[in-house]
Amino acid sequence: MILANRGDPPAGFDTLRTSSIALHHVAGSIFGPGNLVRRCRANVYLICPDLAERWVVNPGFTEWTFTIRDDVLWHDGTPFTAEDAKFWFELAQFGAEAGERIRAPAYFKGELGDIERVEVLANDRVRVTLAERSVHFMDILANPRLKIAHPSHLMEPHLRKGEMSVSPMDVGLVGTGPFVFLDYDRGTRIRVRPWDRYWERNENGTSLPRLGGIDFIIMPDPIAMDVAFRTGRLDGGARGQGHYLTVERKRGYDRELRDEVVYGEMEGGMFRLAFNTLKEGPWQDPDVRRAMSLWIDKDSAIAASLGGYAWTAPSLGPSNPFKGTRFINWPRFDGEPLEQKRAEAQRLMASAGYVDGFEMGHLCRPRLLPQCEYLQAQLSGLNVDLKLQIVDSAEWNRGRVSLDYDSQEGALTHSLIPEGAESVFGIYSENPDSYAKHEDPQIDDLFRRLKSATIDGDRVVVWRELEHYIYVEQSYIVPIAEIIQVVPYRSYVKGLVIPPEDGHTHTDFATVWLER
Amino acid sequence: MRRYVVYRFGLMVPTALIASIVLFGIMRVLPGDVTTVILSGSGSSAHSVEAREALREELGLDDPLPVQYGRWLWSMVNGELGGRSLTTGETVRTLVGRQFSVTLLLTLYAVAISIAISIPAGVLAAVRRDRWPDYLIRVVTSVGQAVPSFWVALLIILVFLVWFRWSPPIVYAPPWRAPIEHLQIMIIPALLLAWEYSAYVTRVTRAAMIEVLSHDYVRTARAKGLNERIVVWRHSVRNAVIPSTTILGLQLGTLLGGTLILEMIFGLPGLGRGVVQAAVERDYPVVLSVSVLLVLTMMVANLLLDLLSTWLDPRLRVPQG
Repeated sequence: MILANRGDPPAGFDTLRTSSIALHHVAGSIFGPGNLVRRCRANVYLICPDLAERWVVNPGFTEWTFTIRDDVLWHDGTPFTAEDAKFWFELAQFGAEAGERIRAPAYFKGELGDIERVEVLANDRVRVTLAERSVHFMDILANPRLKIAHPSHLMEPHLRKGEMSVSPMDVGLVGTGPFVFLDYDRGTRIRVRPWDRYWERNENGTSLPRLGGIDFIIMPDPIAMDVAFRTGRLDGGARGQGHYLTVERKRGYDRELRDEVVYGEMEGGMFRLAFNTLKEGPWQDPDVRRAMSLWIDKDSAIAASLGGYAWTAPSLGPSNPFKGTRFINWPRFDGEPLEQKRAEAQRLMASAGYVDGFEMGHLCRPRLLPQCEYLQAQLSGLNVDLKLQIVDSAEWNRGRVSLDYDSQEGALTHSLIPEGAESVFGIYSENPDSYAKHEDPQIDDLFRRLKSATIDGDRVVVWRELEHYIYVEQSYIVPIAEIIQVVPYRSYVKGLVIPPEDGHTHTDFATVWLER
Repeated sequence: MRRYVVYRFGLMVPTALIASIVLFGIMRVLPGDVTTVILSGSGSSAHSVEAREALREELGLDDPLPVQYGRWLWSMVNGELGGRSLTTGETVRTLVGRQFSVTLLLTLYAVAISIAISIPAGVLAAVRRDRWPDYLIRVVTSVGQAVPSFWVALLIILVFLVWFRWSPPIVYAPPWRAPIEHLQIMIIPALLLAWEYSAYVTRVTRAAMIEVLSHDYVRTARAKGLNERIVVWRHSVRNAVIPSTTILGLQLGTLLGGTLILEMIFGLPGLGRGVVQAAVERDYPVVLSVSVLLVLTMMVANLLLDLLSTWLDPRLRVPQG
C-alpha cells in the first residue's frame, strides 16, 4: 500500500518528543497502535489490552499493576518485558541524567499524572504508583500518541554513555508493531514490511498484518498529493491539517475517480475564539466576551471558512458516548434566533461601555487564515476591530503558550475524555497551553470534582456545569464549529479502521488489505 | 593569475564569516522557538513549560549566543558542517550531502539546457534580426522572463492530470539507481528552470551579437569574402558571449531561488525544500550551515565564471609584474 505522509517524521521518530502527525501516521505501523493498553479497534471509546494483557488497580486508584503479554517481541527478536515498560515510563516521566547532561521528560508528562515510581514485580509484571488518584489512567495511557518506541536494551547503553538525545531512529527503529522498518530515504520515502512474529490476530484467528508492506511517500505539498492520488500513484492520502480534503478538492476526486475512491472522515478539533483574559483589554469583561459569542453566526462559518466540512458542536464530539443523549450541550446553550442573540450582544456591549467597539489582536497561522478572516468579518459587525497577527508555525507555537496576545484560536488538542481537556481549559499557571488564558479557581475546582467523580452520571453533571461555565457564564472560549477531517483512500483498500475522532488513532494498518 | 585566484579564495573566508554572523543573528531575532515546534508537532497538543525548558537545555539552546555560535563555527571547521539538525537529529553533513546532490543535478540540467539553447538562440535572433526567427525567440524569451516558473509548473501538472491522467513519479531516485524515473521526475522542472534562466541570457546574447556584428573587424572579415558562417561563429560569437557569461553568474542566485519552489511542487528532496522546512521549524544549525554553503557555492561559481570571462577576453587578464 502506498500512502502519502505529510512530511519527514521529526525528532528521530521519538514519540516522547512530538505529537506530529507526520510521525504518528508512520509510527503506528512500526511501534503499534498503543501502549500497554490502547483504544479498541471496534470502538475507539473503549480501552483494550495492547502490550499488557490485563491490569489491576488498588481501591485508591493510585497503584496500577500490569501483566505484560508473553508473546510480544521487539523487531530484533528480543522479548518485550516489564523492564521495557518501566524504562519507558521513567523516560517519559523523569527524562534521564548522566553527569551534567540531561534528557527532557516527555512532552505529555503532565497528562500522565504525577508518577511516583515504577517497579518491576516480575519479568511480566510492572507496577506504576501515582502520587494522586487517577481514575482515568487507562484512558490517558490509551492515547495513541503514547506509543512505546524505546527498546531499553538498545537505548539504555546510549544513555549511560551520555548520549541523551538518542532517538528510536538512532537505534534502528526497532518496535513491537505489525510492520518492520525496512528503509528511510529522507525527504522521499519510508518503507515498512510485515513483522512475521507480530502477536496480534484478527477475530478469525488470522495473523496480522495482512498487507505485504507500506510505502509512506513524503509529500509536504497537499496539491502534489492530490495529483498523485488522482493519477493512481497513491492508495491513500496523508493525515494532517492542510492535507485533509476540502470540499473543492474532494469534488475533483469525485469527478475523476467516482467509485474508485472512498473517504475516511474524522472529527478533528474545534474552530474557536479564545481570549487571553490575563492581558489588559475590554475582553477581560465577561459581558464583552459573551457579546462576541452571541454575535458570531456559527452556522455560516462552516461554508465560509471550513470548506464545508464541519458541524456546530460542543467540545466533545457528537459521536462521543460520554456525551450521550441526555447531555444537552452547546450550541443549545444559545438556541435563540440569530437576530435575538445579536440584539442581546449589542445590549451587552453598550452596557459594558463599548458601543463604539474596540481593537483586539488575534494570533493567526497562515493556513488558518480563512477562519481568522471569518472572525474578523463577523466581529466587525459588533465594531470589534480584530487585528490579525499572522505568524508562521514556530512563532505561533511560541505565542500560544505565552501571554503576548489578545485572542487566539488554540491548538487542535483532542481528548476523548473530558478530564483530558484540562490542559486546554485549565488555569494558565498549570496549563500554559490553555486556549483561554485565565487563573479562574472555579475551573480548577470543577476539574477536581470531575476527576474525583467515578460514576458516569456524576461526571456528566460536572462536565455540563464546566462547559456552561466556560462557554456561557464566563465565555472564556467561543466554540464555533467542529472540523471534519477527510482522508481519501482507493476503494480497493479494505479493512481500514477509521476512528470517529482523532486522526492519530489506528495508524497501524494491521487489519488492512488490498482487494484490486 | 594564481595570485588572483588565491586572493579571491582568501576573500571568501571573511565574506562567509560575515554572512554566517548576520544569518545567525537573523535566525535568533526571528520570533519562534524550535523546541515548541518539536513538542507541538503540527500544533495539535499541549506541552508543559518544564518539558520545553528541559528540551532547550538538552539541545544546548540555553547557552549564551556566542557559545552557540562558537560551537557551530567549530563544527564547520572540523568537517561536521554544523553538527546535527535540532528537529530530526540527522547530521547536517549527511543532510547537505543528500539534498545538495538533488539540487546540484537539477541546477546542472537547467544550466546545461539553457547554455545549449540560449547562446545559439541569441545568435540566431541577432543574425536573423527583425525576421520571424527573431520575433519568435523574442516572444518566447519575453514570456520566459515574465511568467513565474511555478505558475507554469502548476499549469503543466494540471494539463497532464486532466488530459492524460499522468503525473511525474512521486519517489525521487538518483540517476545511477533508476535513470528513467529520474528523468521523468527531473525533466519538467529542469526545462522550466532552463526556460526562465535562458530567457535573459538569450536576450543579452542577442544584443551583444548585434553590437559585435556591427564592428569594423566583422565588416573587414566579410569584405575579405569569408563565409558568413565563419564570420559569425569564429569571429563574432566568442566576443558576443562574454557579457552572457557574466549574466550566467549573476543569474545563478535566481536559478537557485527557482529550484526552491519547483522542488516543493515536484516533490524533489533538495536543498531548497530542505532549507525552507528548516527555516519554518527554526532548525538553526541547518539553516545556518546550508545558507553559508550556498554563499560559498555562489562565490566559487562566480569565481569560475570570472576565470572563464578572463579566458574568453584577454583584456580582462591581470597584468603581470
